[in-house]
Amino acid sequence: MIKLLLLSALFSHAAEAPTSLQKDAALFQAKCAKCHTIGRGDRVGPDLKGLSERREKAWITGFVTRTAFFLDNDAEAKKLLAKFNGVRMADTGLSEAQATALIAYIDAASKGPVGPEEEPEPEAEDPASKVRLPEEGRGAWLPGIAAGLVCLALAAGVRQLGFPLPAAVLLVLAAGAGYWSLGGRRYHRLLGDQQGYAPAQPIDYSHATHAGRLKIDCLYCHYGAARSDAAGVPPASVCMNCHNAVRKTAGAMEPSAEIAKLVAAWDTRQSSAPASIAWNRVHDLPDFVHFSHRVHVANQIRCQECHGPVQEMARVRQASSLSMGWCVNCHRQEKSAAPSHWKRTGGPLDCAACHW
Amino acid sequence: MNEEEAKTQAVEDAKDGIKRRDFLQLMTGAFAALAAGGCRFQKPAEKIVPALVAPEEGLPGQAAWYATTCGACPAACGALAKVRDGRPIKLEGNPEHPVSRGGLCARGQGSLLDLYDSQRYAGPRVAGAPVDWDTADLEVIRALERARASGKAVRLLSPTWASPSARAELARLRARFPSLRHVVYDEPSLQASISAHRLTHGRAALPSYHLEKAKAIVSFDADFLGTWGSPVQFTKDWAARRKPDVEPGLMSWHAQFEARMSPTGANADLRVPVKPSERYGTIVELGRLVAQKTGWSGAVPPSGPTSVSRSVLLQTAAALVAERRRAVVLCGAADVASHAAANWLNHMLGAYESIADLERPAAFASGEEGGFDALLAELDRGEVAVLIVRGCNPAQDHPRAADFRKAAGKAGLVVSLAGRPDETAKLARIVCPEHHYLESWSDHDAHGGVISLSQPALSPLRGTRGALETFARWDGRRATDYESIRSYFRSSVLPRQKKTRSFETFWEDAVRLGALTLGGGAGKAAFIPSSLPALKAPPVSAFGYEFIAYQSVALGDGRQANNPWLQELPDPITKTTWGNFASFSPSDAKSLGLVEGRVVKLEAEGVSVELPAHVQPGQASGTVAAALGYGRSGIGVMAGNLPVVKMLPIDFQPASGADVMPLSRAAAVTVGLLSRVERLTKTQTYDHLVDPLLGERRDHARETVLADYLLNPRAGNPAEAKAHSLWKEHEYAGPKWGMAIDLNACTGCSACVLSCNLENNVPVVGKSEIAKSRDMHWLRLDRYYSGPPNALEGSPDVSFQPMLCQHCGNAPCETVCPVLATVHSTEGLNMQVYNRCVGTRYCANNCPYKVRRFNWFDYAHADLSANLALNPDVTVRSRGVMEKCSFCVQRIYTAKADAKVEGRVMRDGDVKPACAQSCPSEAIVFGDLNDPKSKAAKLAKSERSYRVLSELGVQPSVHYLTKVRNKRV
Repeated sequence: MIKLLLLSALFSHAAEAPTSLQKDAALFQAKCAKCHTIGRGDRVGPDLKGLSERREKAWITGFVTRTAFFLDNDAEAKKLLAKFNGVRMADTGLSEAQATALIAYIDAASKGPVGPEEEPEPEAEDPASKVRLPEEGRGAWLPGIAAGLVCLALAAGVRQLGFPLPAAVLLVLAAGAGYWSLGGRRYHRLLGDQQGYAPAQPIDYSHATHAGRLKIDCLYCHYGAARSDAAGVPPASVCMNCHNAVRKTAGAMEPSAEIAKLVAAWDTRQSSAPASIAWNRVHDLPDFVHFSHRVHVANQIRCQECHGPVQEMARVRQASSLSMGWCVNCHRQEKSAAPSHWKRTGGPLDCAACHW
Repeated sequence: MNEEEAKTQAVEDAKDGIKRRDFLQLMTGAFAALAAGGCRFQKPAEKIVPALVAPEEGLPGQAAWYATTCGACPAACGALAKVRDGRPIKLEGNPEHPVSRGGLCARGQGSLLDLYDSQRYAGPRVAGAPVDWDTADLEVIRALERARASGKAVRLLSPTWASPSARAELARLRARFPSLRHVVYDEPSLQASISAHRLTHGRAALPSYHLEKAKAIVSFDADFLGTWGSPVQFTKDWAARRKPDVEPGLMSWHAQFEARMSPTGANADLRVPVKPSERYGTIVELGRLVAQKTGWSGAVPPSGPTSVSRSVLLQTAAALVAERRRAVVLCGAADVASHAAANWLNHMLGAYESIADLERPAAFASGEEGGFDALLAELDRGEVAVLIVRGCNPAQDHPRAADFRKAAGKAGLVVSLAGRPDETAKLARIVCPEHHYLESWSDHDAHGGVISLSQPALSPLRGTRGALETFARWDGRRATDYESIRSYFRSSVLPRQKKTRSFETFWEDAVRLGALTLGGGAGKAAFIPSSLPALKAPPVSAFGYEFIAYQSVALGDGRQANNPWLQELPDPITKTTWGNFASFSPSDAKSLGLVEGRVVKLEAEGVSVELPAHVQPGQASGTVAAALGYGRSGIGVMAGNLPVVKMLPIDFQPASGADVMPLSRAAAVTVGLLSRVERLTKTQTYDHLVDPLLGERRDHARETVLADYLLNPRAGNPAEAKAHSLWKEHEYAGPKWGMAIDLNACTGCSACVLSCNLENNVPVVGKSEIAKSRDMHWLRLDRYYSGPPNALEGSPDVSFQPMLCQHCGNAPCETVCPVLATVHSTEGLNMQVYNRCVGTRYCANNCPYKVRRFNWFDYAHADLSANLALNPDVTVRSRGVMEKCSFCVQRIYTAKADAKVEGRVMRDGDVKPACAQSCPSEAIVFGDLNDPKSKAAKLAKSERSYRVLSELGVQPSVHYLTKVRNKRV
């Protein structure tokens, strides 16, 4: 979302040269935006708004292109490192020309309007807006209740007409419909259907806070998803990139008890018996199925298309059924019906694509 | 219920503490509750436990590869260990290793399972009781100090330890304890060749052979494609000259004079059965013929007995002389005279100028002559205060093991460094177990001019310790193996190369590549003709049958005897699993009245062993051969004639065989027939290519001779008849995967079989299941005998044919499956969907190639730690499910994913199935047949290409290339 806003802001300003700035914006997103903002406050690293007013261009270029050297030797950089809890900036691998372009971009974005109040982006422009969330059936209780009430009314009517036996049958049906809609449907299902499964976790971690409110990129924590078959739950070291400093929830006065659990686990890392956090697995495919996250990420399938609106979930639930029919539905997409952001329409339909 | 019954009921109710009526009521209630209350289906909750700090080497689900050196045999081939989530799951040849260049043999592949052997020592032991390292070290150091004070001997006994840093470490230990001496022995050893070179060249060295330069190879009992020297390297070099279509005149000519049928003999163009007692005479006779042709005027060795026909020798001599400087004679004998005579031949042929390199000698299995016997004498006299045993098992793996067992008691202290219990470790008071080679740092210089370096692929599983560290501790220092090897490389290897002067760069390069080629050499050694007349022909035994104890392809010298994968690997020639046997020639079998499986008693010098008999075509008459390494007791479930109990609960059959090591020095044995029959468990019981009823040669293993091939490339390979099909042809829009197998390069070494086992979690089923033809190998190596009508009496032609699922276009299995568990993929794969299969076995019955395998049981491992070797990418099949070769579909999809993530298209060679990867002779090529530029497609279109049983119209995707024998008729 942040990317979207920045982009829209820039387009309105520099409509005559969208390609170059677009490229720079993408570069900023790829290299900087995980830790830095422009005008939205400090994150893992400092807010970059008005950067070139604060520092010399040569210093910035040097810092960006030779980060490790600067962090070890430059006094200013060392100060910054201390301020940001010793979280070292990773090597960017950027060239000087790219760094210069980034500075220009940051300057433009600093001057330009930043923030949600500026020119709302027409939704159609965003390829991700076509993301189809999985059908979770969360409104299925309404027709159930309706069917139950209808049955109840019918039962009453039939009883009035003097047919007790059909009335009893209708009564049972009404009770069944009621039970179904008020939660029973969660328990009576086909073997292996885990849709809606949302176990309590050892730490009450909220994706709504991190991915939703703070807009941390999914791949920042689940970095394995782009490179490995397994997306992986991040090691505590990733959490501690921020939580070295952040110990309270927004607006709270007291340190958070949940973050304290994380820190307690982290503090055992050097001990002989490290107490790793044992998360409860939510999405679990059968052992005879192979799923590769990296292939799907490379094909630009959005995380939400399978995992649902995770950025709104305070506790993660399994949004899709993860059944074979559900997988195959996407793999069968014709070009016309597939979302335009997919790099590849459909997937292999061979059994051996997943069953080895 | 009458009264009696009621009484009985009451008594039983009282016993159970619950009344029957109550129980029934309770159960009714429970069922009702279950039915009404909610059959809540939920999978068992699983945990995800991420590391606190992300490990450096990759992500969960990602494989990391470490360059290492195979430790399964002295040849020290370069290997890559595939590590998933912290545990090695596969070993593959290292393509960048200068010697082995990407191949890895069956034993090397199998050595992975030794790592997960649950019987490995968990830590040091003193007198059988577990202790901590300090206690064990203290006792050893005290004993060493006492020995120094009293001047008594300290001996380290080991096989050839070709590790420069270990030598440096030992030198330091010797400086502190001057009475320490390192006794080296190997059994079987190549030591006779070294002694012979000392005689004929004045240099005690084992030449490095470069067989890729050899256009004529004559081998006397040297099984260089199987177990002699460095088989992977030799196979690679040999196979490079077995590809007639690459260029005319490339093909080499290979003759084998040998007593038993070895895999090398099976691949020879000319194979002559020769008894060991006639070997020397044959070499000298051949030498005299070559001497005539080359005008040799020097001394000649005295002649010996031979019965090889003069025409064969003339033909061989002519072939050798025609390829002077490109011809070599190899000798695998244990007697020095034969080797010296072979050296003479090599000298006349100019082999020392090109093929046999004495300047950069090899160092495997080159233990000193008589060292072991001298040690036994010292032990007997009570002169040895401390005996340290490392890497060998003298209480079993030496012909005089019985003497050793007696003499070891007279040593002051016996210390063993064995990683798992063996016969010697049981005699030792102190055991200081060392790491498995995949857990430790080590270096090797077994190959002249090359130093291999191996890094650990995982942190040690148990409380073991590296051998170098153990020695350093005894020397009073605290240096890990890593530190010792690094300091050695810094001081001694860095100055020997010129690439870089920075040690860190150099070290990282060495660790990453796994091997370094260093220059240097010892200079030329001149031949000494005057050494020849003094040679003495080995004595001929007057009685019985000449005895040959050989290393089998599966078990080698037997150090991996407890490895079930290797026990179940069929011997390439006899196709026997789980046990050894005594091989007789067909004519001897006839005269003795032997049938296969009849137990015979072999006896010599008061030692006897009992073995089932096997009749081996091609074996020299008057000889009996048996494999080493089998029939050991007390070292583990697999080796000790014990069944795998948990694996098969219904019935089992103990592994057969007997340890022939005590007999291995006997030149001859007497044979007595016992009134027992033990059936050999073979995976192939039909041997002949010629149809016994029609007398016609079946043409699924096609062959021709080179002369015909050069005239007509399609010789021996009639074109495929156009088959009419009821089915519509499949369309392959993308790739169509296929394979080409060169029968001319395949040596039958079985590396592919083991590699497939590891990659695809193929279970071990045990001997009784094999006896019922329920073997599970996805890839089998068929071996056929052919030749003229009486060939089986003499030396038949042998062909090997790897047989795996042919991934037919019109697969007969697919049409009969009632549940669509086996279907055709859009890329030409014949897919097997395990979770659909209901086990009707219709498909297996309808498969013309018999490559489908059925899980009759849950072949669970008795040894749970062996499960760590399972490949997490491949489903572990359960009972009642059919399985078969998948063309390593997991590798296909991994390669696709790699290409996708890297944003490129797939290239030819991206996908290498496990069998193709490990093949030392590069006989198996896999690729996209739709891509005309792919190597596999080119081979599939070559004139030598054919498909097995293509007349059935099943359109197989596996192409075989006709075998071309270089026969000189």
